[in-house]
Amino acid sequence: MNTEAGTKPTLSDNEEDSSVSPPPSRPAVISIASPDEVMKLPTRWSYESRSSLLSLSENGRELSFQGQNCNGDRDAAAARSIQPIPPACGIYYYEVEIHSKGQKAHISVGFAGPDVKPSRLPGWEPSSWGYHGDDGCSFAAERHGTPYGPTFGLGDVVGCGIDFSTNRAFFTKNGTYLGSVFENVGKYTPIHPAVGLQHVGESVKVNFGHEKFLFDIDYYVLQERQKTWARIMSRPLDPTLFRSPAMSDGTAGDVEPLLPEVSEEQSKHTINKLVLSYLAHHGYVKTMKAFQNQTRNTSEETPSSPPSFDDDVEMDGIIGPSTPPLSTNAFEADIESRTQIVNCVLAGDIDAALAKTRQHYPSALDAEEGVMFVKLRCRKFVELVLESAELEKKMKAVASKEASKEEDHMGMMDVDGDGDSMVSESVIANGSARMSGYDPERSSGITELQVVTRQYEAALNSALAYGQSLDNDFKITHNLAIKNIFTQTFAILSVSDPLSAGGSITEVAGYNARVQLANELNQAILRSQGRPSNPALEMMYRQTAVCLLHLGLSQVGAAAFANMQKELLDA
Amino acid sequence: MPPAYPNVQIHKEEWDRRLHDVQISKSDLNRLIMDYLVIEGYKSAAEEFAQEASVVPEVDFESIESRMKVREALQRGDVEGAIVRVNELNPEILDNNRALFFHLQQQRLIEYIRQGRVAEALQFAQDELAQLGEHSPEFLSELERTMSLLAFDHSSSMPSSIGDLLSPAQRMKTAGEVNAAILESLSQGKEVKLVQLVKLLSWGQSTLQEHASFPKMTLDDETVLGSSP
Repeated sequence: MNTEAGTKPTLSDNEEDSSVSPPPSRPAVISIASPDEVMKLPTRWSYESRSSLLSLSENGRELSFQGQNCNGDRDAAAARSIQPIPPACGIYYYEVEIHSKGQKAHISVGFAGPDVKPSRLPGWEPSSWGYHGDDGCSFAAERHGTPYGPTFGLGDVVGCGIDFSTNRAFFTKNGTYLGSVFENVGKYTPIHPAVGLQHVGESVKVNFGHEKFLFDIDYYVLQERQKTWARIMSRPLDPTLFRSPAMSDGTAGDVEPLLPEVSEEQSKHTINKLVLSYLAHHGYVKTMKAFQNQTRNTSEETPSSPPSFDDDVEMDGIIGPSTPPLSTNAFEADIESRTQIVNCVLAGDIDAALAKTRQHYPSALDAEEGVMFVKLRCRKFVELVLESAELEKKMKAVASKEASKEEDHMGMMDVDGDGDSMVSESVIANGSARMSGYDPERSSGITELQVVTRQYEAALNSALAYGQSLDNDFKITHNLAIKNIFTQTFAILSVSDPLSAGGSITEVAGYNARVQLANELNQAILRSQGRPSNPALEMMYRQTAVCLLHLGLSQVGAAAFANMQKELLDA
Repeated sequence: MPPAYPNVQIHKEEWDRRLHDVQISKSDLNRLIMDYLVIEGYKSAAEEFAQEASVVPEVDFESIESRMKVREALQRGDVEGAIVRVNELNPEILDNNRALFFHLQQQRLIEYIRQGRVAEALQFAQDELAQLGEHSPEFLSELERTMSLLAFDHSSSMPSSIGDLLSPAQRMKTAGEVNAAILESLSQGKEVKLVQLVKLLSWGQSTLQEHASFPKMTLDDETVLGSSP
């Protein structure tokens, strides 16, 4: 059946490409962000499942009726697309251009399930829906239709859409919206775009997004998205969301006792705590103090708020019952030291970070075979290498400056190179050569170059010595993760300037690596204290995103409209 | 007809992998926090946060301050003070929003009644509120509900549908409405994004539950405050 390879809903405008069906260039869909699911969209009529009375053009878009006129309301010649419509697209829309002898074509445009006979018009059979040109009626698995819109025929463009968030269809004629129609479309079986023809001289040409649509589908989708979002936002909050799972008795959802509605106060209270724990997690101490002061003031002003929310004590500690109680001071001290440690890493002062972590959170370094300790020591090595690379650069700069001075003295230097870069390189080479054999007697005192060179040599030696000690300490490890860290770290020795080498070397050496390491260390410390390594707010965002992803995969159309990125981050 | 897509079990490993794959950066989350601090009016926290997290807010902090003064006035029960402040900010806010103006006047009536100033309450209702009520059946029934507070002394005999008017939640509701109107007049978002996120999570989890079983998240204190592993 559907032998064509699926195509991603990205667009090539090459509509004449007939061997591989072109994916629509303006897909009327909102795609959900799913890294491992490709949304396959209809791109052409299926040759195999069409009625043999229809001839199909090579590009798979044009169908024409061949042979004897079909008999009234018994026979027809139908076709459907190769791919069914993925409900996760939210709204799907396509248009058909009608060719017929008159203004009332014996043609049906609509949708059909995979098992509908190709000898019947869409709308006559179960699992099929259609809008008929001869009488303008809509048909949903019935012999007699319901008046719906105008008739259509020669030269008209009929559009056909499905909204999977409501499972209702809609049609357009020459770009005009005709209204929502049918129920439960595509709810129980996959559906395909489908057309049916009955008379000689009739043909249809489909636009599955290959060209611009007559109807402004983008605006329609935008409106529907706003409606869906508003619907989701106006739903009352699920009371079980705010209860610890331990509090529910573990029985099935439908016998759950009725919980009272979640008040605005209650959800605001929860959000305050989410904010507070987020600030604490990342060590935004001043913000946290200011926030605590303000929330406390507000709650004092409304002393008659329900007792269950009156928890100043809890707010002070922000530590729940299951961890050993910390006083406010101890709590702030904890944030303080974590912040200091993180800042040390960010500043590249790994020794200080190591010492402070050892002092306050020794178990964070020892967990998981000491992987954090290894990472920090590797970073220290990287910092030493970077330091020496920096001095090397400086040394070369000084050397070339001195060389050019000398050049002035000696007049033209004999240089073979013809490009600027060649010149400077050879100057540096000369500079270095001269440097090593420099006779201190020749100059008055120590030159700048000598100072820098000594610094560079010292830095390089200490980097190499540190690398040696790392190697000695860990060469016997069988831990693959740790071995990997080593390989990646030592790779930076293969280039002279790790920060501009690009690729994985720069990734290991660059500032972002510090940020990442600081973050990892913070998480390791929190884990060692028996606390979650991500703030609840972040977990909440992730949980919501994965719910939406799975709703999309579970064919819930509304999920496509609930675009977190757009609604929460981009605005 | 049976649903085509049966209830499936999503295993924790798969779920955790997906959680891990979600693209969300600390700076995105920081912006959500800033949005909350600004809209909810935590001015000094917003200022500290701008420094500590280097997040640039899209408003000047002074506008937060004036919005908060309005809110504080309402929460104290000083409705007149709040109205003066709103008009100082922008007189069009109350001119263009009849419902908001009515709710503020209703709140003023409630505060008279709370303080036992019955004569003033009656006078105020007749002078100011009755004519507003004439224009809208909704306002009229609200006015009647408020006036029936006078029929009860402050005792337990009061039905909660009426007694609620005296609760702090009623003050919060009015204050929230005013806050939203001011934000709108500053053409600033008025829906707190974190609130939207909570709603989206609530809808997402309960809808997905109809299709699949999966590891649910709850926002109980222990989870939220990060004390459980």
